[in-house]
Amino acid sequence: MSIHTLEVLVENEPGVLARVAGLFARRAYNIDTLVVGPTENPEISKMVIQVNLEGHSLEQVMAQLDKLITVIGIKELVDGAVKSSKHDTQPDYQN
Amino acid sequence: MTTHVPTINGTAMTGATSLVKSLEAAGVDVMFGIPGGAILPAYDPIFDSTIRHILVRHEQGAGHAATGYAQVTGRAGVCIATSGPGATNLVTPLMDAAMDSVPLVAITGQVPSAAIGTDAFQEADIRGITMPFTKHNYLVTDPNDIPRAIAEAFHIATSGRPGPVLVDIAKDALQKQTNFTWPGKIELAGYNPKFTPDNSAILDAAKLIAQSKKPVFYVGGGVIKANAAKELAQLVEVLGAPVVTTLMARGAFPDSHPLHLGMPGMHGTVAAVTALQKADLLITLGARFDDRVTGKLSTFAVNAKVIHADIDPAEINKNKYADVPVVGDLRETITALIPALKAELSKNRADLTPWLASMNNLRATYPLGYTLPDDGSLSPQLVIERIGKISGTDTIFTSGVGQHQMWASQFISYEKPRTWLNSGGAGTMGYGVPAAMGAKVGAPDATVWAIDGDGCFQMTNQELVTCALNNIPIKVAIINNESLGMVRQWQTLFYEGRYSNTNLDSKRVPNFPLLAEAMGCVGLACDNPGDLDATIEKAMSINDQPVVVDFRVHRDAMVWPMVAAGTSNDEIMIARATAPDWDSQEL
Repeated sequence: MSIHTLEVLVENEPGVLARVAGLFARRAYNIDTLVVGPTENPEISKMVIQVNLEGHSLEQVMAQLDKLITVIGIKELVDGAVKSSKHDTQPDYQN
Repeated sequence: MTTHVPTINGTAMTGATSLVKSLEAAGVDVMFGIPGGAILPAYDPIFDSTIRHILVRHEQGAGHAATGYAQVTGRAGVCIATSGPGATNLVTPLMDAAMDSVPLVAITGQVPSAAIGTDAFQEADIRGITMPFTKHNYLVTDPNDIPRAIAEAFHIATSGRPGPVLVDIAKDALQKQTNFTWPGKIELAGYNPKFTPDNSAILDAAKLIAQSKKPVFYVGGGVIKANAAKELAQLVEVLGAPVVTTLMARGAFPDSHPLHLGMPGMHGTVAAVTALQKADLLITLGARFDDRVTGKLSTFAVNAKVIHADIDPAEINKNKYADVPVVGDLRETITALIPALKAELSKNRADLTPWLASMNNLRATYPLGYTLPDDGSLSPQLVIERIGKISGTDTIFTSGVGQHQMWASQFISYEKPRTWLNSGGAGTMGYGVPAAMGAKVGAPDATVWAIDGDGCFQMTNQELVTCALNNIPIKVAIINNESLGMVRQWQTLFYEGRYSNTNLDSKRVPNFPLLAEAMGCVGLACDNPGDLDATIEKAMSINDQPVVVDFRVHRDAMVWPMVAAGTSNDEIMIARATAPDWDSQEL
C-alpha cells in the first residue's frame, strides 16, 4: 500500500463531513489524515484526504465519493500538483 | 414526472402548504403515509390537496407501497411519515429502494429546529440514519427552502441511476410563513449524470461483439429502469446471441423467446449459469455482478471479456473488470449499439451456431422442473406455476423473499417489463403485500398477485386493511409451508437438518382465511391439488375486494438448481448432491 492524497471539493453545508467520513467507514476504507478548509467561494469547502490505498481500491473510493451529491469534484494530488495517470482497475478477486 | 411551474409563485403561505404545493408541482398524484406530531402541520393542507393520500397501517407499508407504485409506473413513489419511530420505520424501504435503484421520495417531519439535538420526544436523526442508503437526503429548517428541496429530491430520485431521497422537515419550518417559489431548472454542481455514451465506447463494444464466438447478453434491472426492453429485443435479433435475465430483470426480455436461457445466479437455470461461465464475452446491460449472480468471483466467467454498460460509473470495475465500459443511459446505449453492430457484422460475423447448439442442448437437458410430493399433498411450485398460467402475462406479480420468491421467478412466464416486482438486493421479507398495494394503485386495471410466504405475510399483512378500506383489490397467495422455507432449506443442506427456529406452525396458527376476513378481505384455502385450479379461478373472479388464499403446501420442497453461497458457479447442483453430467456436454 502507499499513501495517496485526494483533494475533494464539497458543498459547504451541514453534514457534509459526515457524508464523506461515513462513506469511507461503510465501504471499509481507512482515512489516514483529513483536513477541511474554506475556498475563495464561501459555498464550497476543500477537503484534503490522505488514504493508504492504491489501484482498484483507490479508483473505487474516488468513484463512490463522486456519487455523493455534495461532492463537486475529486482530484488526486502528487507533491501538491494534480495527477492524471490511471490506476490499475482490476478488482482483486479474493473470494 | 411531469413538472409545471405553478401560477402561485410568490404567494404567501405556510411551509406546510408550500410542501403540498411543491408535491403537486412535482406531479405527485398519490402518496402513502401516516400522520403524527411533527408532520401534523403538513396533513392540514393535504386534506385539501388534489393528491390522493392513502393512510397505511405501518410506515414500512408506506415505503414498500411507494416502491411498488414506482416500479410499475416508472415515476417516483412518495411516502410520508412523522419524526422518530415514524421515520425509522421507513429505514427498511429506503434501504430496499437503494439496493434495487427505485425512485422514491420520502418526506418526514422532524422536531422543531430549536429542539433538534436535545433528545426531544420522537426525535431521531433520520438524515444521519439514512445517509448510507439514500441517493441524497435533506434536513430543512427554513420554510423558504422547502420547494427547492422537493424539486431537487424528485430530480435526483428519478434521473441517472434512480434511488431514494429523503426530505426531513422541522415542524417549525412547516408552521412558519413563507413566499412560495418553485425553482426553474435544477442544476446541481455535484450531480451530472451522463446520458449519452461515448461513441468510441460504442464502436469498441460493437467490434468486440462481432468478434465473439460465445457471446451472451447479461441483462439486469437497469434495462427495465431505462425503458429499454424494446431496444434490447432489437439488439438481440441483430446478433442472435443467447440472453439471461437476472432476478431484477425478469420481464425485460420475453421468457417465451427461443434465445432466452432464463435467470442466472444462485437459483438460476443450468443453461443461464453455464452460459455466463463458458462465454467468451459478457454483454452486460444494467447489471452489477452481484454475488448472487457471480458466485465465487475468482471463478466467474474466467474466459470472458466484459462489456459493461451502466449509467452509474461507480459500478464499472467494482466487482468485475470491464474491458469495454460504456457509461450512459441504456436506451441511448442500445439504440447507438444497434447500427454500430450491424456495420461490424457486415464486415465480420462469427459463426455462433456451435455456441447456440450447446446452450440449447443444456436447456433441453436441464429444464427447470420439480417433483410432486409422494403423499399427494400440494406442491408449492405447482401452485405458483398454475397461478401464472391462469392469471396470464398481463398480470403484475410481487413476492416476498425466500423459496416462494425463487419459484415465482422460475415458474411464472414473464413477457413484459414491470410485471415482476421483488426485493432483489435487500432481500426484504414482507415486501410482497405492501408492494402489491402500491402496484395496484399505480396500475388499477391490472390484476396484481402477491406471491407470499407464510413467514413474509406475517410481517406486513396489516396493509390488507388499507387495501380493503381504499378499494385496492389485490390478490395474495400465501405459499404456506409452515416454515421459514429458504432458511429451512439451508438447514437441510448445511446444518444436518437441525431446524433451529424455522418452524412457524402456520398451518395451526394463525388461521389465514379468518385473518383475511377480519381485515375485510375474502379468505380462501386450498390443500388439495384437485381443488387448485378452481381455487385460483375463484380468486380471479373476485375483483371488488382483496383476496387471500392460504395454499397449504408440502414443507420439504426445495429450490433447485442451486449454487451454494460462496462456491463457484461451476459447482451448480440440479438436486441434492446431484451435479449436471458435464461429461456429456460439449462446451
